[in-house]
Amino acid sequence: MTLDLARLRKAYGQFDFGPVDLTVDDEVLAVLGPSGSGKTTLLSLIAGITSPDSGSIRLADRALVGVPLEDRRVGMVFQEGALFPHMTVRENVEYAATTGDRVDELVALLELDDVLDRTPPTLSGGERQRVALARTLATDPDVLLLDEPLSSLDAPIRRRLRDELHGLFASLDIPVLYVTHDQRTATALGDRIAIVRDGALEQVGTPSAVLTRPTSRFVARFTGTENVFDATVTDRTADGATVQFGGVQLQTTTADVAQSAVTVCIHPSRVDVEAPYVADGDRTANAVSGTVTRWLNEGSEYRVDVDVDAGPLTLTASVRPPTFDRLALERGTAVQVLVPEASIHLIPGGE
Amino acid sequence: MSARSNSKQSGTATSGFDWLDVALVLGGVLLLYYVVPMVSLFVSVPAGDVLARMANPTVVDSATTSLLSATITTVVATLFGLPLAYWLARTDGAVAKVVLAFVVLPLVLPPTVGGIVLLTVFGPGSPLGDAAIAAGVPLTRSLAGVVLAQLFVASPFVVVTGKAAFESVDQTLEHASRSLGKSRLTTARRVTLPLAGPGILAGVTLAFARAIGEFGATMMLAYYPRTMPVQIWVAFIELGLDNAYPVAILLVLIAAAALLILNTAAANPWE
Repeated sequence: MTLDLARLRKAYGQFDFGPVDLTVDDEVLAVLGPSGSGKTTLLSLIAGITSPDSGSIRLADRALVGVPLEDRRVGMVFQEGALFPHMTVRENVEYAATTGDRVDELVALLELDDVLDRTPPTLSGGERQRVALARTLATDPDVLLLDEPLSSLDAPIRRRLRDELHGLFASLDIPVLYVTHDQRTATALGDRIAIVRDGALEQVGTPSAVLTRPTSRFVARFTGTENVFDATVTDRTADGATVQFGGVQLQTTTADVAQSAVTVCIHPSRVDVEAPYVADGDRTANAVSGTVTRWLNEGSEYRVDVDVDAGPLTLTASVRPPTFDRLALERGTAVQVLVPEASIHLIPGGE
Repeated sequence: MSARSNSKQSGTATSGFDWLDVALVLGGVLLLYYVVPMVSLFVSVPAGDVLARMANPTVVDSATTSLLSATITTVVATLFGLPLAYWLARTDGAVAKVVLAFVVLPLVLPPTVGGIVLLTVFGPGSPLGDAAIAAGVPLTRSLAGVVLAQLFVASPFVVVTGKAAFESVDQTLEHASRSLGKSRLTTARRVTLPLAGPGILAGVTLAFARAIGEFGATMMLAYYPRTMPVQIWVAFIELGLDNAYPVAILLVLIAAAALLILNTAAANPWE
């Protein structure tokens, strides 16, 4: 089954959605973007809750525009679950199911045995989302749409349910669109990621492509690349280039940029912080010496800002706790930041 | 200037009463004003006397007319009012505002004026009124006239309260139902109506209570057959206050029953 959107447009007062062109095969497409970027509009258009001003939506060989919501065979899991509060869990799932066997199957799959006779208001957030998913899957939809189903859950439950969803999605042979504003959820669940900004698709690609090779500053920043700088290409060779910015010159292996004005992107997780003058570090990495000006404990890692000695430049690095402890980092510690050549990504053009 | 504001402050501080106490006293007076006449009505006539007069044919006839007409009115108001309530609940914009204004108009219009307005359409001399008389179903001085008068003043309660009830049902639930392959009708029947039910019942109850108490428009459209409020008027004018008590007590009991429904099965719109 293939879902195909072509030149899809919808205008709401101040907000313009589209034109959007997008093809989703039997895969999980994570739709990632800030709130108000049009993620939910995209799902509403596919589900048939809103109708587009122009453009087409096709599912296999069926045109969906103009087809009422109830005839589209598009399953949607709503943000808070949208469970019917006057029905028990069992009644909610049975409402949607065509056969009793399907109910039993989904109850087993989503481990709902214990909550079958309870009503939605008494369920926890995680239970509610499981029921919502079971209810939607009970209709055997041709497409599955999920609107931030995990956003209201506490971190441990969110992580657990995310792992379960990963396995569940793999067992479905239909297009799945998963809307989220959380980059970790998007990269964990998506076979591909679509970045949405101001009602348009900014970049579509595999998680690693989007993370390591963003095509715009917006994508770079939104996916966690904090080191984004205007730079100039000063030298170009067959297997790399030299870029200059903020008083430093760095070697990079990417040379597929024609312009001399470029934007340099370096993801904080792809650089290392070391003690100054360590000779046995990564020889192929650019070494930049500087001073720690600030650090934040983000739980699984520390985010460390280093003021570069050579110029007005601050590099941000993620540092794993063992390294952080070994180097005894604090404000004023002299360090060197190691930037592997392959970690430097270039976007054509400056700001 | 400063001396004056000082004395004002100390005046408030030393007088020693709280504004809440004032509110309680004022509210208490009003509450007594509600309760005392009600009690007075029930103690002013011996219970045996009231029961005896209740069996009087004019009382029985008026009670029958009132209950029958108010029931028909409520059914018709619900049948036509709920779809409009749903439409109003799911529509925004200027058109909906204008429609709502027309729905609320009978609530703020004096009932006698409502009666006059209705007479211009249904009364003798109007094309519709004459056609109905020719067909043998006169729209004034008949049960139909009573229902028309009651419908005008009572049906807005179904629409206005129903609208609020439908608005309280999250539209996402309707979208969810339809995305599960259920038609609009099935969605309305199994999701929207059950969830809006208590609010709708409140509107229906209020409409019934208003219909059974309707006097002004009814007097204009259908003096006969007499409803209970008209019967109270006639008894009071012709036979004196004492003779108006039994029907009045009946109406108070019906109003109390309506309140009971509002506070139990229905969603009391004023709570």
